[in-house]
Amino acid sequence: MNARMKEILVVAVLTVFCAIMYWGKVDGWMTGFQFSFGLSMTVVILIAVSLLVILYLTLRGKLIGRRVVFLYVGISVTLPFFMSLSQEIKISPEVQTLYEGIAELPPGSVVLTAFDYDPPSAPELQPMAESFFRYCFNNDLKVVVIGLWPQGPQQANIAIEKILLDEAIAAKNLQYGIDYVNLGFQTGNEFVIQRMGSDFKSMFPTDYTGTPYNDLPLVRNIKNFSNIDYGFNLSAGYPGTVEWVQVAVDRYGLKMGAGNTAVQAPQCYPYIRSGQLVGILGGMNGAAEFELMTGTVGKGTKFMLSQSFAHMIVIAFIIIGNVAYFRGGRKQKL
Amino acid sequence: MSFHIAFLLLSVSLIVPSPSAQDEVADSVAVSDSALVVAAPPTSVIASEHEYDDGEALDLSWVPSIDDQLVGGLVIAYRVYRSTNGGELEMIEELIPGANQFTSGELSSDSSYSYVVAAVTTSGEFASNATAPLSPETEWLNYEKKWLFLIGLLIAGAVMYFIETARKGKKLFVRKIAGLEAIDDAVGRATEMGRSILFIPGIQDMDDVQTLAGLTILGRIAGTIAEYDTKLFMPVSRSLVMTAARETIKASFQTAGRPDKYSDDMVSYVTDEQFGYVAHVDGIMVREKPATVFLLGAFFAESLILAETGNSIGAIQIAGTARPAQLPFFIAACDFTLIGEELFAASAYLSNEPRALGSLKGQDVGKALAMIVIVIGVLAATIASAWQVESMQSIVDTLNSVFSTN
Amino acid sequence: MEHFAIWVAAFLTMGIISFLYKDNAWYKLSEAIFVGISAGYWFVTLFWDNIYGKFWVGRGDDAMLYIGAFLGLLMLMRLVPKVGWISRWPLAFIVGATAGFYLINYFSSNVMRQVEDTIMPLLGTDYSATTYDMIGNIVIAVGTFSGLVYFFFSKEHKGVFGGTAKVGIFFLMITFGASFGYTVMSRMSLLIGRLDFLFGDWLGMIK
Repeated sequence: MNARMKEILVVAVLTVFCAIMYWGKVDGWMTGFQFSFGLSMTVVILIAVSLLVILYLTLRGKLIGRRVVFLYVGISVTLPFFMSLSQEIKISPEVQTLYEGIAELPPGSVVLTAFDYDPPSAPELQPMAESFFRYCFNNDLKVVVIGLWPQGPQQANIAIEKILLDEAIAAKNLQYGIDYVNLGFQTGNEFVIQRMGSDFKSMFPTDYTGTPYNDLPLVRNIKNFSNIDYGFNLSAGYPGTVEWVQVAVDRYGLKMGAGNTAVQAPQCYPYIRSGQLVGILGGMNGAAEFELMTGTVGKGTKFMLSQSFAHMIVIAFIIIGNVAYFRGGRKQKL
Repeated sequence: MSFHIAFLLLSVSLIVPSPSAQDEVADSVAVSDSALVVAAPPTSVIASEHEYDDGEALDLSWVPSIDDQLVGGLVIAYRVYRSTNGGELEMIEELIPGANQFTSGELSSDSSYSYVVAAVTTSGEFASNATAPLSPETEWLNYEKKWLFLIGLLIAGAVMYFIETARKGKKLFVRKIAGLEAIDDAVGRATEMGRSILFIPGIQDMDDVQTLAGLTILGRIAGTIAEYDTKLFMPVSRSLVMTAARETIKASFQTAGRPDKYSDDMVSYVTDEQFGYVAHVDGIMVREKPATVFLLGAFFAESLILAETGNSIGAIQIAGTARPAQLPFFIAACDFTLIGEELFAASAYLSNEPRALGSLKGQDVGKALAMIVIVIGVLAATIASAWQVESMQSIVDTLNSVFSTN
Repeated sequence: MEHFAIWVAAFLTMGIISFLYKDNAWYKLSEAIFVGISAGYWFVTLFWDNIYGKFWVGRGDDAMLYIGAFLGLLMLMRLVPKVGWISRWPLAFIVGATAGFYLINYFSSNVMRQVEDTIMPLLGTDYSATTYDMIGNIVIAVGTFSGLVYFFFSKEHKGVFGGTAKVGIFFLMITFGASFGYTVMSRMSLLIGRLDFLFGDWLGMIK
């Protein structure tokens, strides 16, 4: 059988498998797998042993291909979905201070949430958005959403729609325009923040549905940042937390916390030390910690096991890679 | 006039508490006279202009009631009342015991305001005299930012001085930046191999200095390319960058005397969407297998993906960015990396342009200043804290006040 | 419709992932769809949300918006080759305004505030300072200083100066290492998000 045939065969088998699983889901007989604790541990041990074998092979000068690394990472991320293992989550100081920052807000406080990310960064930031909204709605904080990224406000709507289905929150019967508002996207990056500081309405004459600003009771009286009690920025790049700190915090004195993708987070840590940011949720880890603090179990917590497993695999391959490097095989295969 | 009546009413409340509290007090008085809790009102209530604002706030300060004690105090809160243009008093804020100041915001410079501060006890409110009516004023200059302005002026002045010096033809020294020679070698290598050169100017627009620095270096590279007749292609994610890059390359080809070799197809717009752009560039890399890849500009999450793919096709990669988060990937996956400001330095060095060189030197003045301040500040702070030397502490305080921007 | 949408999403996700195996037609198709849709989405959002929603519907009597719209129109002059040069005017406005804006922002937030914050006693602020605090302070002070030395371009890296610059690059590399770690975490999160979609939302295999 030639290579092309093999590839077609693999795709065919995968397609049939997926079709059966999907049919099972729709038909209702497929409710998901869960490995027992014993099986979970066996899988972990098997992976560890195979990694040792790879290390041994590398020491012997036999290098593995890059696809093997991809395969291992894929497996290490996927298997924990089905494992009945749990992971302890520790609260870091920057998450603690962020939580305390919003915990001291009295009911009725206006919270500005800036959504500066798009679907590609959603796995990290969406859990933060959800637990943040859940906390706000549960504690009667008023939420104003804006976005400096075009798809940001849409991500906010997805999160709000999901949170409003929560029983406790549904019971509150929250009203759009009174309890929360989505003012949509505005182009202009940090200039938007600057203008919001002097004239909030000029940047958002209408909300994302086209309702005029003055017809929205929640924001009608918001003139500038002095009418905002707390700012929360979810950012995946530029414009993002750095710009919010430089303009809203340093120029207008807005009290702010931020949720960042892990890539962005190290750049924003200096702002905590200098007091420019109240706190930071960094990556999925930060999301999981915040979920723990607010007493909910969301995707952040759920994915932490996959995250840790993947990290172990990456560390293992860093060691293997370095072994290969020092044996002089750098550009050969890895 | 109505204000004076309101004021009189409140003054009366020194003896007779405010209406709402009066009812409660009346009930309690009926039980026992000693239940009436009387406190002295706050004194010396002064309203003053809130400095350096847009005419939206006034500051209020007062001496707390003498009955406001930490232990056994009678005051349970302070209430601030405001009268606008002599109108009725309305309560605007309730403060905790011990408070002695308040900033009243959301005012208009067209109106005048008067304030009364009342000490609240369990029996009622005991109000101060009203302040004289005052209108907030708009200040044009914020003197709290004078140090920001002066230090900024010093560095900007240095930049201008050095630009002028460079213009006059004086040679400005810039240390050699490792990796610069590699640029010409990399172009030569692509020519020898008969393969193309891929130039990626980051994913930011023309308003980002990194993009500008990237394009400056592109100008230099394009000159070499024109001479060697190597194939260049440059997918971009911003329409403005596309236009600017075309003009840059065109100019370089003209300078090199090969305008006929220039084509608009060298630069193409892909999409503004970050990962859409990356997917496309990755595809190009794998299909075209360029011999040399330049990654010079502002990069975000795509840096690793691009550098990794470039590495996997065996291209010589020269990268440079000032985004700290992306540098690790370039350092790991590229052959040469211009770290942070080295990108700007390289662009200045290569272009030999007085403005770029002057800016670089001017910024060095700023860096020298920061280094000196850090050394003096840290030494003084250490001595001050270890041996409690007051003169050292005053140095630290001065430096902190100079560099504090709030 | 719901079934169709989730299958399309899964098909495209797998198409992009298939690049890990090798470049192939499936990946190219997914890539082309992604590029096209994202460019289209940007256009539609900018048009309906900004030009139509925020400008046309909500313009009110704000004269500034008209100035912005006018500059925007000038930018479009590029489409007419004869008067294409006019588009340089709004471009100059953007570059100039941004440079001025950045100057203050970066200078105040990233230079002044951070220098102020670096002025601290190496041995901790008081007697309660722990060894951890002291090491932290020393790392920040030495790291900031030597990093500045590395990026000082007016002096050749030789002698003590060169040595300090070496310390600076050492600090930079450690920072990059930590940053690398964070990014690995970020990338893993994205992968987890997609695989959760495939195994959970699509196939329903996750409990």
